[in-house]
Amino acid sequence: MGGLSRRDFLKASAAAAAFAAAGASAAASLRPKDASASEGDIRWGKAPCRFCGTGCGVLIGVRDGRIVATKGDPQAPVNKGLNCIKGYFLSKILYGTDRLTKPLIRKGDTMVEASWDEAMTLIAGKFKESIDKHGPDSVAMYGSGQWTVFEGYAASKLFKGGIGTNNVEPNARLCMASSVTGFMSTFGGDEPMGCFDDLDLGDTFFLWGANMAECHPVLFSRMIDNRLRNPQVKIIDFATRYTRTSQMADQYVKFNPQTDLALLNAIAHVIIRDKLYDEQFIKDHVVFKRGKENIGYGLEDKFKFADEPKLIGFDEYKAFLKPYTPEYVAKLSSVPAKTIVELAHLYADKSRKVNSLWTMGFNQHTRGTWVNNLAYNVHLLTSKICKPGENPMSLTGQPSACGTTREVGTFTHRLPADMVVMNPEHREKAARIWGIDPKKIPAKPTYNATEMFRALDRGDIKVVWIQVTNPFQSLPNLSRYRKGARKGDGRFIVVSDIYPTRSTELADVILPSACWIEKEGMFGNAERRTQHWFKQIDPPGEARNDLWQTIELAKRLGYGSLFPYTYPEKEIWEEYRKFGEGQGKDLAPYESYTKARGLCWPVVNGKETTYRYVEGFDPYVKAGEGIKFYKNKADHYKAVVWARPYEPAPEVPDRHYPFWLCTGRVLEHWHTGTMTGRVPEIMRANPSAVCEMHPVDAGRLGIKDHQKVKITSRRGTIILPVNLNGRGKAEKGNIFVAFFDEGKLINELCLDAYCPISGEPDYKKCAVKIEKA
Amino acid sequence: MPVSGVIITCAEGCSAEVSSRISSINGVEVHGILPDGQIVAVVEADTVDGEVELVAGLYEVEGIQAVRLAYHNFEDIAH
Repeated sequence: MGGLSRRDFLKASAAAAAFAAAGASAAASLRPKDASASEGDIRWGKAPCRFCGTGCGVLIGVRDGRIVATKGDPQAPVNKGLNCIKGYFLSKILYGTDRLTKPLIRKGDTMVEASWDEAMTLIAGKFKESIDKHGPDSVAMYGSGQWTVFEGYAASKLFKGGIGTNNVEPNARLCMASSVTGFMSTFGGDEPMGCFDDLDLGDTFFLWGANMAECHPVLFSRMIDNRLRNPQVKIIDFATRYTRTSQMADQYVKFNPQTDLALLNAIAHVIIRDKLYDEQFIKDHVVFKRGKENIGYGLEDKFKFADEPKLIGFDEYKAFLKPYTPEYVAKLSSVPAKTIVELAHLYADKSRKVNSLWTMGFNQHTRGTWVNNLAYNVHLLTSKICKPGENPMSLTGQPSACGTTREVGTFTHRLPADMVVMNPEHREKAARIWGIDPKKIPAKPTYNATEMFRALDRGDIKVVWIQVTNPFQSLPNLSRYRKGARKGDGRFIVVSDIYPTRSTELADVILPSACWIEKEGMFGNAERRTQHWFKQIDPPGEARNDLWQTIELAKRLGYGSLFPYTYPEKEIWEEYRKFGEGQGKDLAPYESYTKARGLCWPVVNGKETTYRYVEGFDPYVKAGEGIKFYKNKADHYKAVVWARPYEPAPEVPDRHYPFWLCTGRVLEHWHTGTMTGRVPEIMRANPSAVCEMHPVDAGRLGIKDHQKVKITSRRGTIILPVNLNGRGKAEKGNIFVAFFDEGKLINELCLDAYCPISGEPDYKKCAVKIEKA
Repeated sequence: MPVSGVIITCAEGCSAEVSSRISSINGVEVHGILPDGQIVAVVEADTVDGEVELVAGLYEVEGIQAVRLAYHNFEDIAH
């Protein structure tokens, strides 16, 4: 190392890591091995990234108990050594100056420091009092897709198996519940058949309502890298807003909000009309169904819906599609008929490996389940499914939306491994594993997330504990729920978090939590990959992990015997994986995950499954079976093509409220900004929300760029500066506002309408008016 | 002073031009262009803030499609 400074070596390390991630050797004069030698005093540990559902592998460098460096994990199959720009902020999210470090208890308008014992005694007392007076359904737990597997499991076990209420919901209800109901209704089992390798192996990518370049940058880069290697690769961006993704796509197809339903039916119409479908595949692997129509929008409190699916024949399905001609749908969607025909042919092109990818545009939709079904229809009709390089995939926004909320089943109706509380056999199995009386688990689901906060507003729920999420910024029609939280009359709100948020400000008790590598954890990403990390640093002050907090409540309520663990994380994992064994949801022993860079389930005999339902990849499909949708026993192991119509959104622009409002995320910020908002450099780059608007609309209203406007819906008003030429560009008649800004609660304007099947609200469509402020 | 190693993906045929353009940016050091056209660069600034500004700026350079982070060391700055 003679003559070279540590800085030179650090620069060499940086370059060497980049060369290694790109699969090349460093050409620099400083040899990479010297560079790594200089890092001898840094201890490296692995973890999945804390942010989105991609699940990129990160190596974290710790010295003297603090993070001093991070690397993309070269061994991680998801990101192969490269992180997105949020990688710069991974460590900083832990080190914000206003980190919560002590329990706080409300005394009037102020929050007063308390000991853990005082706080937990108060919380347990309120739970007991409410359960005694009003029954177990008066208390609730609201968690998130950022819960570790262990935390979600403990919460579900305590509430369903101990307290005896199904009042457990995650914020994932707000972001991918429609994906769950889409998978369940089409395939009988949740989560995708394909994996991220499809991004490298496919050559045709249809993106629907997914700004991948900003929200899933690493996955988008894999697709872009693929296109650089293979000039055949085509990316088609179906969207209602022009984004960085649109800019880099080969084709941008703008459509009117809600008409994705009609467009997918028109694509299926052309596939049938022009005989582009795979008749043999349909005969072998598909049944057709039609369910209830005109199904409502969940706007009324205690809204209930149950679908009534009926089997139909292929001919009836063809007849159902008849009205969806390209010409009719062109009028509805504003996508030219010629384009619809061309893209239907591209979807069905036998020489192409076709993928569909979607996120919130589909899932946050009052017909979210339907639109998921319709995307699968196109893949099933053309047999572009269950093959390496061609699959449909719903991407997720949170690091363990799949691993915790979906797989552990922290929804009101779910139990682990796709089981549901409504099914007596499932309750019995859960009770057996939990060592409880099956009668303890109520047979009826209670509230989806929106209904849970409606129940709090009405006073049917009195005590709610919120962990790892920020509902009083993220719920739609937010004003109602914020007011409801502080109505008094026995309502009591506990919030566990790492920073003060718009939810902690409404809390009666705030508990300081450990975050990410301050505790041991497991997350499951969007490709069924379960990843483990060890605790690598201590949390600040008296902060403790949410798993400990939940178990502490259990002990104080008399349910300590449900958690008889000496090493809770390891023992919970071994208990939890009993649910999935032999169900196509098999997980490996705990130790396997401590070494591997994640494993995609089902993991059978130590081997992960990259492609499900397909012979040669999935151990549940026997030799000679080819493809088998083995989770859908009710339909003889076939997938369902659904006849689902186009139905309009519940609130459409009119004379009084002439614009569509769409909300969403931006590259720099993650969700409600409680973590990224602590990073001064992000706040400087993207300090506050803006209203993206089309220049023609602005011109018509006499509004200039950066001028402040008043945006009003039937539920609220907000004032924001206009951005006419930003990275994202609104189409005519539409505006877009990101929801990260805690100072500008755009969700106050959103309608709390939801998909009747999934219960997921639509944050992408409501009507607003714009005036100069 | 934080330092990071990044990989820059360029539009086809743009790598040489992008490389020379970004080499002139103070704080960005190009370490090589790979056969597939990707550029390996080291970014350094007085603060992480500065680094992020540099990387965000790279996104605006014509011909650059993506910037990904391989390594980040910030050991000598107080959090």
